[in-house]
Amino acid sequence: MTRAVRARRFAGARRSCLVGWLVGLALFVSGGLCVANAQPTPRVAAIDWGQAQTLIAIGAPPVAMAQIASYGDWVGGPAVPDSVRELGLRVQPNMELLSQLDLDAITITPMYANSRTRLAQVASVESIDVYYHEGSAWDNTVESTRKLARLVHREAAAEQLIETTRADIEASARRLPADAEPLLVIQFIDARHVRVFGDNSLIGNVMTRMGVANAWQEQTNFWGFALVPIERLAAIENARMAVLDPMPVGVAEEIVSSVLWQSLPAVRDRPILDLPAVWSFGGLPSATRFARGLAAAYDGRETAGETETPESTP
Amino acid sequence: MTPARLCSLFLVVLGVACVWALATIMPGGLAMLAAPGDSLTGILLRYNWLPRLVASLLGGAGLALAGVLMQQTLRNPLAAPTTLGVVSGVHLALLLATLFAPWLLLHVRGVVGFIGGAAAMGLVFALAWRRALAPTVVVLAGLVVNLYLGALVVVLLLFNQEALRGMMIWGAGSLAQNNWDGVFYLLPRLAIGALAATALSRALALLDLDDVNAKNLGVSLQYLRAGALGVAVFVASVVVVELGVIGFVGLAAPSIVRLAGARTLKARLVWAPVLGALLLAVTDQVLQLTTHDSAALIPTGATTAALGAPLLLWLIPRLNMRRPVPQTMAEAPTVRLRAPSRLLMTLVVAAAAMVVIALLVGRGADGWTWPLQLPWAETGAWRLPRVLAAGAAGLMLSLAGTIIQRVSGNPMASPEVLGISAGTAMGVLAVILLWPAAGTSVMLGAGIFGAFATLALLVVLNARSDFEPERVLLTGISVLFLFDAISKIVLAGSDPRTQQLLAWMSGTTYYVDMPLALTVTALAAVLLLATRPLAAWLDLLPLGVPTARALGVNVTFSRLLLLAVVAVLTAGATLVVGPLSFVGLLAPHMARLLGLTRAREQMAGAVVIGALLMILADWAGRVVLFPSEIPAGLVATLIGGSYFMWRLRRM
Repeated sequence: MTRAVRARRFAGARRSCLVGWLVGLALFVSGGLCVANAQPTPRVAAIDWGQAQTLIAIGAPPVAMAQIASYGDWVGGPAVPDSVRELGLRVQPNMELLSQLDLDAITITPMYANSRTRLAQVASVESIDVYYHEGSAWDNTVESTRKLARLVHREAAAEQLIETTRADIEASARRLPADAEPLLVIQFIDARHVRVFGDNSLIGNVMTRMGVANAWQEQTNFWGFALVPIERLAAIENARMAVLDPMPVGVAEEIVSSVLWQSLPAVRDRPILDLPAVWSFGGLPSATRFARGLAAAYDGRETAGETETPESTP
Repeated sequence: MTPARLCSLFLVVLGVACVWALATIMPGGLAMLAAPGDSLTGILLRYNWLPRLVASLLGGAGLALAGVLMQQTLRNPLAAPTTLGVVSGVHLALLLATLFAPWLLLHVRGVVGFIGGAAAMGLVFALAWRRALAPTVVVLAGLVVNLYLGALVVVLLLFNQEALRGMMIWGAGSLAQNNWDGVFYLLPRLAIGALAATALSRALALLDLDDVNAKNLGVSLQYLRAGALGVAVFVASVVVVELGVIGFVGLAAPSIVRLAGARTLKARLVWAPVLGALLLAVTDQVLQLTTHDSAALIPTGATTAALGAPLLLWLIPRLNMRRPVPQTMAEAPTVRLRAPSRLLMTLVVAAAAMVVIALLVGRGADGWTWPLQLPWAETGAWRLPRVLAAGAAGLMLSLAGTIIQRVSGNPMASPEVLGISAGTAMGVLAVILLWPAAGTSVMLGAGIFGAFATLALLVVLNARSDFEPERVLLTGISVLFLFDAISKIVLAGSDPRTQQLLAWMSGTTYYVDMPLALTVTALAAVLLLATRPLAAWLDLLPLGVPTARALGVNVTFSRLLLLAVVAVLTAGATLVVGPLSFVGLLAPHMARLLGLTRAREQMAGAVVIGALLMILADWAGRVVLFPSEIPAGLVATLIGGSYFMWRLRRM
């Protein structure tokens, strides 16, 4: 699964720069498939993308998950094995199909709480939470990885995933310049509105672990981001702007001619970093994607064929 | 209060809001006005705040102008760009382009949007052309096209939620600007629209007369209507493409200036755009002030509608409805069937056959399954509650729709338009957002509470007018606007839970379990029997108040009782299939188009058609995209709408 080479130009009124880079994803080899395990892997369906992603990463891909095609666009990786069945929309997983799949368990997050009684008629339901209770997004994501692993008897793989994620984030952090400015991580919703990620998002947590200050210190919502029109970014001086993919159609062209955008201090003063798609409600693999993407963007080098997540063969 | 005084009041408010906004939001404050310079504050002022202010004024004026033209042409105070399919057409065209031909949006976004709006209006014209664009037919066709396109929009949003997030912000009408491009786009086009409206105004004023008199004065009604509506579509689509969906202004500004005393068309053409511009600009300035540090986006278009709804509610009791409404034809003429019982039997048999298919035929993990090939627990057990609920909801909505259309004599009336389903939905919405872990029974309670709160509102605001139907419908529309606006704000807000909301709102039986299905089925059966004795009223009330009184009907009491019945029917159905299934509008018309014209026959026909349609829609929605499901309400709108348009065309 490789992404096409993309080059995008942010041509400023005062200066122009070309930030072009290549993101490559090598095939993720799911290690767990060839492991001789004492216990058979329970048959699990995952409704939430972050949980499906984690299950794939620890080598126990779910029997079925929801909206596989959109997962490819928005979560990015690791890739979903062909054996995984499509369940339909995340908010309306197909009940007839679920009941025909002979499942042992279904994992959900509290966001899908009102499906719980319905799903419980098919298999035992495990609600594993990241955002609905106290604690940082990072700690809760690590904890949720462990809970998922217990469910599919992959505890060792989970510990390894946690360790490699930590190591990856540290390694990526070492690649950053020592004097890195506070970072303003945004994702365009349209040419006039962006999501900004604050401290308590998964992305913000990874930044903290990498020793990068977050330039967005204003209010955020429950999930740690804010949805704001771009003029709200005007007051932020001395920050480095990082833009997460995917970019909605037409936005790259429209902001070129936007005096306001070009005048934002974070756009005007230094080149923008271009980051790959990272599912901001994702699991540890999303954390790694962000850290590596950030380091690669700082390197400014063309990184083709980079391994997405280390092979985690327990 | 005169229109001029009303507008001056709003102008003062706008002035205060502007000064306040400059003093608080802009770091440099008022001083920046004098010397904007090259500083960031200057750029914010010149490229963000000012273009936004001008764009909001232009947008409000444009929508109000379109509203005046549409209301005058169609002689219906409920006509507006949002009710005639224009906005849905623009919306659908932009969504399709975003998903399938994004390169189109780079350079010809405006053209794409206008083609969408014009195509929607063209469809409406095509459906109503043979009837010389008679207002009732245009309004009806517009409503159906609107629902039809709206259903397609929701399907696209539901299945591409992440990719279309930006379109949700557009759909809620955020006015944020980052340069003058928007203003330069709007200005010349709106000027052309205003000129065209001025040119047409003399001829349009003749529409205050009835059709025959207008014709005698040498007006070609057909071409006049086409011309005026064409201008309205152009103006509305220009505004909507650039600024997003802004509800309410186009509907309310013309009504408010009329209330304030703008009796002639000329006065309305002047004052409605002025008021529309001020309404939108004031809302936008106040919003910028109150949300300048919030983490969520509160879009202006939807907020205007949300704030406007109470305003409209406050105005309704003060509304002098006794203005002469020139009547064209109350209903499309239909031939009464000679043997309705045979048709009814056929419909019942078809419905029964559909129930069997819906229960036994489906798709499974390994493709299509034969009846009873898989265990009941893995197929039928899931299907039965959904079939029951779909049938019961279809029945209840059709019954409610028949009653409300007969009582009001308005073909646009439906349980949705009465606001009851919107009230129910707001109750459920509050539960989804404020108490995410709540179970079905809490939702049920909240929904019923919402329905009766709306009913109470309807009663309180309309008691003095003896529940005059037009006034009741306006009340209902206001509640509908409020719900529509709130749900749009929520959808634009980027909250991950919105997909759930979208799924429920689009009318799915997915969330129904067996106890709920049995409850609504029992409710439907009881209410069906209970309404049979009321059929006599439904034959007499459409004859007009004096005739009905002379025939011994207590008009106030009968209207109140019928309204209460409609409220209960609607609440029950909404809890099951959400607020947007338009069976309640379509089924009564379909029954009438089939020749069932007397009240009892129409009720019987409508309930069977409604149930059949919903069960068919539910089944089709489950199998077409398996394992993904298309909500039954959307499929029902698509099936019913197709049939409806086909019949309307042949009429």
